[in-house]
Amino acid sequence: MTFFDHLLGGIASGSVIALMAIALVLVWRSTRVVNFAQVGQAMFTTFLALAVYRGTGNWLISLIAAILAGAILGLIVHFLVMRPVRRQDGSGAIIATFGVLIALQASASMIWGVDPQAYPPIVDIIGFEAFGRTWPFSRYDVLVLGVTVLLVLLLSVVFTRTSLGLRMRASAFNPTVARLSGVRVSQMLALGWALAGSIGAIAGVLIAPTFSVTPYSFDILLILAFTVAVIGGLDSLVGAVAFGIGTGLVLSLVSGYSDSGNASIVALVLLALNLLLKPEGVFAHHHSRSV
Amino acid sequence: MLRIENLSVSYGAIQALNDVSLEVPPGRVTAVIGANGAGKSTLMRTLAGLEKPQSGQVIFNGEVISGRKPEDIVRMGIALVPEGRSTISELSVEDNLKLGGMWRSHAQRNASLTRVYSLFPILKERHHMGADTLSGGERQQLAIGRALMTGPQLLLLDEPSLGLAPLIVTQILELVALMARDSGLAVLLVEQNATVALRIARTGVVLNLGEVAGSGTSAELLASEELRHIYLGTGS
Repeated sequence: MTFFDHLLGGIASGSVIALMAIALVLVWRSTRVVNFAQVGQAMFTTFLALAVYRGTGNWLISLIAAILAGAILGLIVHFLVMRPVRRQDGSGAIIATFGVLIALQASASMIWGVDPQAYPPIVDIIGFEAFGRTWPFSRYDVLVLGVTVLLVLLLSVVFTRTSLGLRMRASAFNPTVARLSGVRVSQMLALGWALAGSIGAIAGVLIAPTFSVTPYSFDILLILAFTVAVIGGLDSLVGAVAFGIGTGLVLSLVSGYSDSGNASIVALVLLALNLLLKPEGVFAHHHSRSV
Repeated sequence: MLRIENLSVSYGAIQALNDVSLEVPPGRVTAVIGANGAGKSTLMRTLAGLEKPQSGQVIFNGEVISGRKPEDIVRMGIALVPEGRSTISELSVEDNLKLGGMWRSHAQRNASLTRVYSLFPILKERHHMGADTLSGGERQQLAIGRALMTGPQLLLLDEPSLGLAPLIVTQILELVALMARDSGLAVLLVEQNATVALRIARTGVVLNLGEVAGSGTSAELLASEELRHIYLGTGS
């Protein structure tokens, strides 16, 4: 395996990390809460999608089921857990998201068990063959990258070119001025949670075929997406995408040249360095943030 | 147009407004003056729905609006320009304006945008720039422009002179007074700077420690003992 091979192998996982980081950014922007349950929600909807896939045999239907379930689960978490605790200070809300994560993992263990399950890929997960060798890049990687690029483009068009996007951005940046302008900020907030839930669900379904699905196998994704979102500046979609894919590449190099177990350590080292050197995030709008 | 009846607002144990009654007629500027902590901003925030009254009510065009949400009150025709520069610095000038009155029809919003740009040409010139690149006076124009985009019948201006050069304040306020006279817009202007406020307002109310300490025409208020007492600590 060459250096280039390792880079190529990191693109798809980087895309999934980027999607998960986008979900965190969407919730952070509208509520100023890091939703540690996001990955738990994605795990739960991936199990649901797997059940739908086994029932229907149709991958696309299972993906749509995950997207819908992700939105609904996002709304449930928002209305049942986050709204009641919003009067608390910030740490109360963050602890609540951990509570949701634990509850989701426990429920998934009871419903689907803790034994690893295989999520069959829709297209070939074995790398392309060309020039007499197998490359570490498969049809499935193309699909993952394609879906990610499409989603990011769609989101940026919605956010920058539509009136809904303007209302969502205004609600995130300055809820008081948004309300005084007539924007129903509480609806935008709920929409943000639903959207984040759906994007997380897509990320879950996309990454599932690359590892064994258990209620706890998504935890590494939480560490990586959190790191990426914080380094990217938490406010920035561009930051989430750039650092998501970048982190995928770095981790692929790390596990290629040392051991895959070192990946999360490297992520935490990157996070620590970022908090020491540029705590507001590389792509942040605001230039002061307490950590 | 707007009638405030026996309005009381408190923050916990602190009584910010106590039994305030006041009428705001259309087509002119009404000033609310008073020292720091007199309850002026609380009054404006309550009218816009950001604070809930403890007792009393606010009636706008025959409808009770006190206790309603800000996003509903602005739809009924009351727009607040809050204290400080109430612009969203992460958005462009034009996006700040477009944010105002999104529930209105395309034609109405386009007409409002044209009007705001003709009132404040500098905003048209800078429409693609970030709101954070504007000067203080330009940002205040943007904040007023955003409020006008909602198509208000009543404009609430909270301390527009704060931190601005006197010349710019005069320009902006004279524009507002002209707008009130020409289009029938009611303006409630809150100011700590009484001379500035009373120069463009026809009538005014003096707030002191959350209560109405006096009211009358601008000329009467400028000559009044009460005003002197509150501002200068003389008289009895």
